[in-house]
Amino acid sequence: MTRETLEVDVLIVGGGPAGLSAALRLSQLQKQRGGEPLSIAVLEKAREAGAHILSGAVLDPSTLRDLIPDFETRGAPLLSPVQRDNVYVLTERAKLRLPIVPPPLKNHGNFLISLSQFVQWLAQQVEAEGIDFFTGFAGQEVLTDGTRVIGVRTGDRGVGKHGEHRSTYEPGVDIHAKVTIFCDGVRGNLTKALIHQFQLSKDREPEQYAVGLKELWDIPPGRIEPGTVTHTLGYPLRHEEFGGAFIYALPENRLALGFVTGLDYADPLFDPHVAFNRLKKHPLVASLIEGGTLVRYGAKALPEGGWNTIPKLYMAGGLIAGDAGGFMNSMRLKGIHLAMRSGMLAAETAFAAVCAGDPSEAALKIYQDKIDASPIKTELYPVRNVHQAFGYGLIAGLMFSGLMLLTGGRWLEDLRSRPGYRRMKTLAWYYGLDVPVTRPSNVALIDRVTTFDKLTNVHYSGTAHEEDQPPHLIVQTEVCSSRCGPEYGHPCLRFCPANVYEIIREAGQPPRLQINASNCVHCKTCDIMDPYQVITWVPPEGGGGPQYNGM
Amino acid sequence: MILIVAEQRNGVLNRASWEAIAAAQQMAGGMPIGVLALGASVGDAAKELAQADVAEVLTGEHAALGQYTPDAFTMALKGVIEQKKPAIVLMAHTYQARDFAPMLAARLRVSLVTDVTGIGGEGASATFTRPMFQGKLTATVRPAPTGTVIVTVQIGAFRADKVRRGGSASVGPVEIAIDTAAIRQQPEAPFQEAKQAVDLSQAERIVAVGRGITSQDNLPLAQNLAKAMGAELAASRPICDSGWLPMERQVGSSGQTVAPRVYVALGISGAIQHLVGMKGSRTIVAINKDADAPIFEVADYGIVGDLFEVVPALTAELEKK
Repeated sequence: MTRETLEVDVLIVGGGPAGLSAALRLSQLQKQRGGEPLSIAVLEKAREAGAHILSGAVLDPSTLRDLIPDFETRGAPLLSPVQRDNVYVLTERAKLRLPIVPPPLKNHGNFLISLSQFVQWLAQQVEAEGIDFFTGFAGQEVLTDGTRVIGVRTGDRGVGKHGEHRSTYEPGVDIHAKVTIFCDGVRGNLTKALIHQFQLSKDREPEQYAVGLKELWDIPPGRIEPGTVTHTLGYPLRHEEFGGAFIYALPENRLALGFVTGLDYADPLFDPHVAFNRLKKHPLVASLIEGGTLVRYGAKALPEGGWNTIPKLYMAGGLIAGDAGGFMNSMRLKGIHLAMRSGMLAAETAFAAVCAGDPSEAALKIYQDKIDASPIKTELYPVRNVHQAFGYGLIAGLMFSGLMLLTGGRWLEDLRSRPGYRRMKTLAWYYGLDVPVTRPSNVALIDRVTTFDKLTNVHYSGTAHEEDQPPHLIVQTEVCSSRCGPEYGHPCLRFCPANVYEIIREAGQPPRLQINASNCVHCKTCDIMDPYQVITWVPPEGGGGPQYNGM
Repeated sequence: MILIVAEQRNGVLNRASWEAIAAAQQMAGGMPIGVLALGASVGDAAKELAQADVAEVLTGEHAALGQYTPDAFTMALKGVIEQKKPAIVLMAHTYQARDFAPMLAARLRVSLVTDVTGIGGEGASATFTRPMFQGKLTATVRPAPTGTVIVTVQIGAFRADKVRRGGSASVGPVEIAIDTAAIRQQPEAPFQEAKQAVDLSQAERIVAVGRGITSQDNLPLAQNLAKAMGAELAASRPICDSGWLPMERQVGSSGQTVAPRVYVALGISGAIQHLVGMKGSRTIVAINKDADAPIFEVADYGIVGDLFEVVPALTAELEKK
């Protein structure tokens, strides 16, 4: 079977806030210019727009206002303006409310949204412009001519479990573009390959990540005022672990409940899902969700590293935008507006390059200049050291954050950091000789009413994949029984929030890794946090994955 | 009237068609019930269907209906529905119905309610309950009152043994108009794989194994029980994932949805992904050594014990009979 080829002017990989903003901006520029329209295509691996996207989310509407000034009359799904902010420090049984909400966490003028719904709406705006939006197609591979990005190859369909071609086999399509904008999200598989191939992270700080677990709940009426935004610090995390919870009260007795953990924890037996369950047993949360019903579950990694970790964003024929580039403000816990802004700027750069017929690296470098002159830098540069400061613990991080606010980010020397996975300690280092056989167990936390095991949670993510396909989580070198078990006690069992990894112990045989790839919710945590860096996430057959309606 | 479309292949009725008749009898509320058998030659099937307490059995015969094609079935049914103007067209949610029902509804521009698990009320005011979001939610819908409504009922949701029999159904032909030139599909002869494939949704009894079986070598244990019970063998995800049984025997959200009369779960813990595929079974028997396993929450009979002891004893007892 021959492979089809499609030629476009601009290809956008990833239909999230960055990619869709880029598409809309291109169409606006084209209208302004008039004449022969550019051909634009957007690829999205989910079966429908918004199905694979998850966030808190509180939207800073600044970029939206610039991109779609009449967003309100166009029916943007903003669920509620933020009415009040609470910040709590939690201990195991108590909560301490901060008397003053720290300025970065003030959300006056911002909106509570479901990012999935918001992206669906953005996709409608894009499609209304006549732009081709291909859902169910994942970018599998970057196409280059050796020095220059020339497009993307989409994944094959109908490949069986062992690589054989099934009767439904269809090779992926090569989409050639003058400029490709990579918006493949946090730890995007294509951006990861680009960073490697074009050495885009040279002289940059290593990217830092976190993983967020989120649930949507229907709760009994009258519990909490819609528009209430709550963030917590402290319990169930310890001083050494970075993260916290978000609790957003949506209209119609919906609650968005989430828990974010830095993927730079030291304890190899730490499990973000267990921490989430602990949080749900804390009186602050338990009193909200008791008697409610779980509606959805999901998980997603976040780029937390900030300005100094953003890779070089341009190369001949290619640009990187959104979470793939690390555009997130970890101090304000916001990135949607930055993703959208970077998408718009990438679109402007690509448009100029295509019109001038020059997609060279020199021409695309304007993207960086645009970012430097944009509100992105104004926002991210002053707080560039904040996440790194939390590497020294919660108190140091908080104090440093305060200092940054006072000084506007002036600091003699930027803080250095190591990749998060390298901060994980071995069992022997962390626990010495007293490795706990079982940690305070998850089993005791699970009541199947408000707290669940991972597999049950996965069911609530709506995740479905074609079963007869090769695993899309590739373990290059199996070190599970030989090294990882003895050294770290198989941390994949814990950091994966979807029960993808299992160690099967059969009598008389060494423990064997089983990859339940069809549970995968595409959060990318394993690709990020595996201490040996031998796990690679590649897209499964197009369309497979979670179904994050309303998330 | 309510028109039931019965499904038959080579004169053998699909068991699920009786379930559709049961559903029709439940909701008829005085409306006459007609049953339509479609095929190249459906005399035997019609005779069997006439045992049910219905007003009439219609035989829709045409050479082009000998082998299933969605175009021929849609054309034939469209003609019959336009002639008979039934208020409701009811059929089982079989693979075949899933294939042609949407096209039929679109051609007729009428409502289609699929995979119905329950019917409330009677006649024209009936409401239909159907699963949504992989069975996590159920919705009760009332079709807009415009012309015919096409309804498919989930296999196992209605009980074939509850069909009222007797009565004096007339059997007669109905005119079938098919423009054979407009059939766009050319069916090949059914091929080998399809012959071997099991349709678990048709099984009356199922023995399903889970991870508790521990090794492929222990599968004969379950096979023997299945044989003694006259049951099909099925499995939960890990078993099929390890390749111990073919994927077509997998029950659950990523496999088949089944609703047999008896479902015996051996060493299956009862993850929600499995439960959604079998919770409609009439009688669920669970054998598991973990008394806290969620499977016991849906089981009618539970044995907390070692399946390696329980299953041979059970098999031996069944073989005595």
